Formats: sequence, structure tokens, C-alpha cells
Amino acid sequence: MTPREITSIPSTEHSSFLKSRYLSAPLMVDIEYIRLLTDSHRKTDGMEVQERRALNHAHALENITPVIHPNDRLAGNKTRYIRGAIPYANYAAEPFLREMRKQEQDAQAKHAETGQGGGVARVMQEAAEKGLRVISGKFLISEPDLQDFRGICEYWEDKCFMAQGDKLWKTHFSEAGFIENGWKIGLYTAPHEPCPEGRLILDFDTAIRKGYQSIIHDIEKRIRDFQPENIVEAGKLHFWRSAITVLKGAIGFAKNYAEEAGRLALTEPDPVRKHELLQLADICGRVPMEPPRNFREAVQSFWFTYLLGHMEGSHLGYSPGKLDRILFPWFKSDVKTNFTEAVSLFEELFVKMTQIEYIASLSWQGLGHGNLYQNLILGGTDEHGNPAANEISRAILQAQINMQMTQPTLSVWYDDRLDDQFLMKAAECVKTGVGYPAFFNQKTYEQHELKTSGLPIEVIRKHCAMGGCTEPTLQGMSYGIVQAGFVNHGKIIDLVMNGGKDPVTGIRMFDERRLKTFEEIRQYYLDSMHSAVRNWQQYWNFVMLAHRDTVPLIFCSVFVQDCIGRGKNMDDGGAILNQSVTTLSSGMVNVANSLAVIKKLCFEDQACTFDELRYAVQDNWQGFEGLRRKALSVPHWGNDEEYVDSIFLDLFNEYCTWVRGQNNYLGKPYDPSMLAISTPVPFGKVCEAFPDGRLKGEPLADGVTSPFPGSDKHGPTAVIRSSSKVDHTQIRGGLLNLKFHPSALSGESGSRNLLALIKTYFENPGFHVQFNVVDSNMLRDAQEHPENYRDLVVRVAGFSAYWVEMSKALQDQVICRTEHLL
Amino acid sequence: MSQGTLFDIQHFGVHDGPGIRTLVFMKGCPLRCSWCCNPESHSAMPQVRYIRFRCKACHRCTEACTRGAITPINGSVLINYDKCRACTSRTCLDVCYHEALNLTGYSLDAKELLTIVSKDLVFYRNSGGGVTFTGGEPLSQPDFLLESLRLCQDAGIHTAIETCGYGNPDSVKAISPHTDLFLFDIKIINPDIHLRHTGQSNDVIIRNLDYLAKEHKHIILRFPLISGITDTEENIGEIIGLMKKLNLQEIQLEPYHTLGESKYEEFGVLHTENLIPEILNYPVETVIERFHAAGIACEVA
Repeated sequence: MTPREITSIPSTEHSSFLKSRYLSAPLMVDIEYIRLLTDSHRKTDGMEVQERRALNHAHALENITPVIHPNDRLAGNKTRYIRGAIPYANYAAEPFLREMRKQEQDAQAKHAETGQGGGVARVMQEAAEKGLRVISGKFLISEPDLQDFRGICEYWEDKCFMAQGDKLWKTHFSEAGFIENGWKIGLYTAPHEPCPEGRLILDFDTAIRKGYQSIIHDIEKRIRDFQPENIVEAGKLHFWRSAITVLKGAIGFAKNYAEEAGRLALTEPDPVRKHELLQLADICGRVPMEPPRNFREAVQSFWFTYLLGHMEGSHLGYSPGKLDRILFPWFKSDVKTNFTEAVSLFEELFVKMTQIEYIASLSWQGLGHGNLYQNLILGGTDEHGNPAANEISRAILQAQINMQMTQPTLSVWYDDRLDDQFLMKAAECVKTGVGYPAFFNQKTYEQHELKTSGLPIEVIRKHCAMGGCTEPTLQGMSYGIVQAGFVNHGKIIDLVMNGGKDPVTGIRMFDERRLKTFEEIRQYYLDSMHSAVRNWQQYWNFVMLAHRDTVPLIFCSVFVQDCIGRGKNMDDGGAILNQSVTTLSSGMVNVANSLAVIKKLCFEDQACTFDELRYAVQDNWQGFEGLRRKALSVPHWGNDEEYVDSIFLDLFNEYCTWVRGQNNYLGKPYDPSMLAISTPVPFGKVCEAFPDGRLKGEPLADGVTSPFPGSDKHGPTAVIRSSSKVDHTQIRGGLLNLKFHPSALSGESGSRNLLALIKTYFENPGFHVQFNVVDSNMLRDAQEHPENYRDLVVRVAGFSAYWVEMSKALQDQVICRTEHLL
Repeated sequence: MSQGTLFDIQHFGVHDGPGIRTLVFMKGCPLRCSWCCNPESHSAMPQVRYIRFRCKACHRCTEACTRGAITPINGSVLINYDKCRACTSRTCLDVCYHEALNLTGYSLDAKELLTIVSKDLVFYRNSGGGVTFTGGEPLSQPDFLLESLRLCQDAGIHTAIETCGYGNPDSVKAISPHTDLFLFDIKIINPDIHLRHTGQSNDVIIRNLDYLAKEHKHIILRFPLISGITDTEENIGEIIGLMKKLNLQEIQLEPYHTLGESKYEEFGVLHTENLIPEILNYPVETVIERFHAAGIACEVA
């Protein structure tokens, strides 16, 4: 077994303590926030939607228990526990109720696999020891809380976002049956309502710099000067008043922490800790209401705004954005804080970010693997296009090299002129094996956003960041993408191979067709994909009306330009960029490979008829081993083979064009995107064998342009050459995974070769690449002896995860990605 | 244009010369070093390889074989490689669905090779990489090697060869101007011991090295550390002496490993030597220190 080249430990004992406390904590559900929110909701019937939502959130913020854990130097937690999740029954109560009634949560719950080790194992142990209950597969909850929560869910059962949405689309959408069947057969990911928010980055810069008091004054002035000319314009008042309500609630939240720190200081025997607590009381009494006086206060101010936005909604992909750029001015002007202290502060901040858990339906738990996709992006350029990495960029990298927490996932906006010291530090971080930073090509995204939004290039450069795993967006000015979930291209292959009928359930999705030529088969695939995509988009446009009427984000809208100026929340079109809403899919590589096989074997070589190939995949290739071998020898994606690459490009372009043909619920074209998270595993599980040689139930190819495991036979440069052919400026988000054996990247020359690889891909121009630098033997050993690998972190898709908390199927997928050594 | 026989082309090679490289593995070698871990490189001809653990004992190959070279045994097959080598139809390969039977070795000309190698041009440019001819012994296919080196050089690709040094001096002279870097194996200085362990004396090797050194070529020596054979006090001292004499500055150590053992059986190559222990006479660090003490740059390859 080859060890990882870079290993590091937390920079202080304090950080070590925080990390080990996190690693030994069980996952808890905390119902306090939702109970407070629900109490307020019960009493506010009849209020205008935005004002009610703001008041409910503010009520919860002002009354939630401020918990400062021993030794914490940053204040503010999402829950009262070390690892805690808020169950947002106001988004979707039904999955919880179904679980409590011992029913399957949804059609796909049986396919979902979640991890069993680490904090999850701790849950099972503590549940048995302390008589606690387990909810949603891996969270602990006390019996009284569970009873309380049942009442809360029953209250929301017909009022929550999901229930309201269901009423609309199930009644009025002509293709409702198609969507419900799509879930049953695994054409789509399960309903996304339990955790729809995210892919959102707030304007932290303004929040920190101005402070909440001054923002409140600005809004109050707007109201004073307001002279509406019609009823629609007058409606701005509702948003502005909501904004003030929610900001005041947020101030109350921070003040409670100030008081709590002061209270703890009174009885604290240790003089050092007492001093820390008094300092904390002072800081929380100042920020986020007023601008910070130093770097430490700026970090605390950031964390409050970040946390308060996170608490408002059920988020996945809610991100800190360009934190190095945001915090650097505060660091530069603070002579008292040095690099080492900054690193230690970030170490604590990253533990805080990892401590946030989310609870969703089982299906989404399996898909997201508990990951929150908080993406912190470093480097890139300033608005004039000059490289912008700074000391804080390096401090953040160093903190994650030391801590190796799963959150936030780090990314780098790559630009050729970024300084060597920064890039080599980024390469060093990759070589710890944690799988980040992922590298993104800023110029590619600039072109995408120029085409899509038409905003000035300076604005795009200044605000571009990563909202979630691999979806770029403009921080502080984009609509937080609320999308429906993923379309499974693999399932469409199943349907094509079986005349439009799902071979597993027997459900008919499309009419059967006579397929006599390759062109007819390709067209059948495209037409099926078109229906699957269009129905999915239109269904979601119905659902989002319910979002606007039940859970519009008010606090978050305050920090997205230009909601205050327009007097509208994001759902009403307050954000400057509304083209960010994506339509997601995964598995296209398998489609390209399968069509290449059909074309070659059935229509060029006459090695078999299309019917014979259908029988072969229906029988999972049993008795057709010779034919399968021929199928495997047809060129597969990832080898720079024109034969199959041209098919992939054709499909890719068809998909992108088709997705853009439908407007989203904000009136702009849907933006094509393909990423994967953990979908290749559950999507593959529901699929029969494919013509490309893949066996029944095997995971699909991951990412967007990653080859199917084992089918890339010519090394990483060929993978990159294939991937370079794709016009990445067409999509918002893309994903290429490469796995290297540690020896392939060892030493300084190894780091330089890694950077040369990235540079070459981005010249061509690719969009995203990320690396797992780990010995497969080590991963196999970790499967057998998880107890020795509690803190092993690996890259999955747009996120990294603790190995022991991943499902076996996902572990297997990471192991079988082709490992490039030499 | 002459044909070359290769057994592999690997992209993203990072250990044989600077930067990101394409490694061209050429078939055929004049030496038979007892520690060799690449038995597939010995013969100049394409060969059938049998990977036993993949075999599902379906025995379709037995039926397909036109020479009666494959005997079914319990759980796998037994191959008579003498009969197998005489065959060119290789019908067995098509019926092996599990890829237990493979063909190692294929031919192409220098132009075709350049097309493949050129695909990674941008990677070479960004990393300072290029192409490395290795094997096997590249000098055992001198015409193909010369043509390939010339074409690569004309295309602006950095060229390196990894050689045991055993080749016709005229060939060495011919390729020298077209080779930017020599990774030159140095095993044993004593000619008798060299003969005993590699099957050939080393006069021509030393002569070629001497020529290249006088031509001021960029040479990095490569020194396999084989327990009790090459890593003796005496041999290391003699290598240092030679390097001083020829004014050579760099050496890379290659500690022996047994990873190639299973391949002997797969190619039906007789491996008479007893297993050499992986444990060395001295720790690698001690050897590195000796070279450093003599003012020579030394690292593990």
C-alpha cells in the first residue's frame, strides 16, 4: 500500500479537540427551530405570505437557545448539538409522516443506500444505550421530541411546500401521470421538495461591510420616500417590511449569543476561557449589526450571516463563495492577526461548517450522502481579469490540509497567471487525497455567463463563484437554483431497448416503434429524452408556484442583489441573474457508448441484429458472452476515439439545445447542466444491462465526461482529449473525475505535472476536473478495517465524504474508477 | 519505412524523463538479466499471454486452437508455448471472452507512431515532457528507432531513450544527434559478473557510454539495486569511478521488486533463477549517501 504523500495535522490542540469532538459525535435531529417556526405560523394565519414567512423565521431566530459548546471561539450553531439537522417540515412533512407510519417514504426509498459507519454507527449505538429513536435512517431523536415532531408534521401535512405543490401539478398538469411513473421506474430522482434550496451564495461582502443596522436604515428610508404609482409597485412594501422584520430577528439571534457568552463567563473558573468568553460577548454584541473592527470580527460576522441564511431554508449547495476575496481586506488592514492565527480561525470555521447536517427523504439522503455541498472557491481573477489569489487563499488551503474536513469543499478558479506559491499549495492539498480543491476554468464559465445573461464581463469576473458541487453562479446576485432533480439517461436506454416499456416494472412510458436503422434508434432515444426532459421542466414550473406561496426566502433575498432595490424576493424576480435555473441529468456517457455499439455491431459489422442485441441485454448478457466481448471492443468514451466521441457530442448538443427550449418559472430559458452527485449508483441500480457491455445494476458512468470505469484504456491524457471536445460553455456545471495512484504525482515534479495536466485541459478548454489521489489497496483495506480509517476522506462527485459514512455501493464505485499510475 | 514491434504505448508517463511523457515499449532485448521484471520484452515477436486468474475454464480456446497447443486442465488450461509460438492465426484470442488470452506485441511504422505520440503535444509543451523509447531494448530495432526519433524531433518533441547500452556502436552514433536524453542502464562494471547475470559481456555497453559521454550528451545513469549482485561495495565503487572518469553527474536508483514474477508464467518464459530477495545489502539511503559523498546527484527513479 502506498501512503499519501501529504499528511498533516490540525495546527493547534484547540483544532484537534474540535475535530475529534466532531468525529465522535452522533447525528442528531433538533426540532427547536421548526417548533418555534410552527408556533409562529399557527398564530399568523391571514398575513401576507412574505411578511408571515419573515415573522415566522424571525420568531424562531429570536427564541432559539444559544448554545456555546466548551472551547468554541466562534459563536452560532444551526442546532443545539455538535452534529445536528433541522427537519424542515414546512418544506415536506409527508416523508416524515410516512416514516412514522411505517410506510415507504417514496417509490425510490428501497433503492437508496446510505453509509453505516462513523457518526451513523454512533447513532445506532446511542439509540440502543439511551433509548433514543432513530429517524430517517441515521438521526437520533428523543421519544418526547418525536411525539412533538409528529404533531408539527401533522400541522404541515396539507400546508407545506410539497403538499401545496402536489395540489397544483397533480390536478392541473396534463403529464402528471408520466412524472409519477417516472419516479416508479427510476427515470427521475425522487421528489426534491424536502431539500430544494441551495446553489445560492449571499452577498457576504455587503453584509459584513455595511452591517445589518445600516441596511435596515436604508430600507426604512426607501419606505419613507416611497410613492407607489400602482398596486403592483405598492407590493414592494411587503418585501421591505419583511426584510426589516427578518433582519431584526437576526440581530436578536446574535444578541442572544452575546448574552450567553457573558453568562458563561460569570461562572467560568478558567481565566483564559473566561477572557475568551468575554471577548466573544463583545464581538457578538457588535457584529453582524455593525461593521467589524478587525479580522476576527469579520470572520464572526461572515459566520452569522452564513448561518442565518442556512437556517432559513432546507439547503443543499448553499455556499460561502469567494471567501478569500471577501475576507482579505479585513486581514490586510488588521496588523494584529498573522497568517498562523488566520489558519487556526479557519480550522475552527470549517469544523463549524461540517457540523451542519441535513435531513431529507431517504432517497435524497442516499443521493447526497449527507453532504451539504458548501463550496468555497479560491483564486480566480479580479474584475479586470488579473489573478487574485492572496494570503487568505493560502491560509484556507493550509487549514484544510491540516483539518481535512468534508466541508467546505474547496475549489480553485483556475487562471494561467495565478502565482506559483498558490498553485503549488493547491496541488499539495490535492495530494492529501481529500479530493479537493476541484479546479474550474474561469474563462469557460465567463463565456457561458456572457452568452446566457449578457451581463458585463467585469461583473461576471468579480462575482463568479461555485454554488454547490459544480454549478457556477454569481455570488450575491443570482437566484438560488431550485430545481427538480435529475433525469436518468440510463433509464431511457432501457426504454429504447424495450419498445418504450420499462423492463423492470412493465410500465409503458412511450409508444413502441419500428426500429430498422441506426438513425431510427437514435431518433427514438432523442424523442424519449425530449419528453422526459420537457415533462420534468414543466412539472417543476407548477411546483415552484407553491414555493413562492409557502417558503419564499426572505432573509436570503435581502442579501441577493437587487432584491431590495426591486422590492421583490427572489421568487418574484428580485435577483439580477434569473437564468441560473438548471435542468440536470446524468448517465450520458453510457448512452453514447451504447449507441456506438448498436451502430457498429448491428448496422456496420452485422455482428448481430438489433433484436439479438435486445435479447442479450434483456438476459443480462448471459449466454451472449462472445457478443458482449465484441460490444466491449467497440470504442468507448474517454479514449479520444472519434467513432464514439462524435456520438457523445451529438447527444450533448441535442440535450443542451432542447433544455434551453423551455422557460423556467422565472421566465428565462432553463440552463442545461450535467453533474452527478451520487446518482450513478441508484440510477444504475434500477437499470437493466446496456448494449455498451455494462451489466444489470452496475453504476452508470459518473460525472459528465468521466469514462465508464475500466473503459478508458489510454490513460488520463486520452480522457482529457475526449473531454476537451465538449463545448463546456454550453452548460452550467460539468464534472470530470480522475483518479491517480499517489506515486504518479509524487514530489515537486509530480505537483508540476498535475498542474500541467490541468493547464492543458483548460487550454482546450475544459471546465472542471478533480482528483482522487489514493491507492486502491488502501481503500480495499479501509472497507475491511473501517476502524482504522475513521478520518479518511475521498472525493465522490462534486463533494468529498468520510469513507466510513459512505454506502458500500458508492465505495465500490470509487474503487473501480480507473486508477492512473505509471 | 521500417516496421517496429511494440508491446505497449503508455500515456502520462512521469518517471522516465522530465514532464508528462509518452512511453513507447519496444519488444526484444539482447540481455537476459536474472532480475528482469519484463519477460514480455525479451522476444522480438508478438506473443500470446495467458492470465490465469481471469480464466473461467470454458475451454473454448482448446477447441479453437489449430495447433493443439492448449490442453484443458481442472479450472484452467495448460499452454504449450513452443507450439503456440509457431502459430500466426491465433484463433484462440477471438473466443476468449474473459480476456485471459491476449496478444502482446504489434507492429507499426514511425509515421503511425508519430500520429499517436503527437496527440499529447500540448501536454508535453505545458510540462516540459516528450517521448521516451524504452522496452525491451530500443537499440535492438535501430532503423525504426532512428526514423521515429527523427520524426519526433522534427515535430518539436523532446526525445529520450531508456537503454541497456547493448547495441551496435554505429546505431548509437546514428541516433545520438536525435536523442535529447539518455536514460542509460549501468548494472555491473566487472565484465565476468556482468556476463554471468545478463548473458552478455559489457564491453560494448561501456564503449557506447564512453562515446555518448564524449559527445556531451545529457545522460542519466540508471542503476538497478539487486541484492548481492549489483549493490556490492565493490560494484558501487567502480560505478562511481566510471562516472568520475566520464564526467557523468546524475544517477537514479531502481530498487528491485518481484512484481514481474507472475508474468514469466503468463508468457511461458522459463525463469531459472531462484527468487532474488527484495531486501538489499544496504538500505537505499546508504547507497544514495555514497553517491552524494562522491559529488554525484542521486535519487530513486
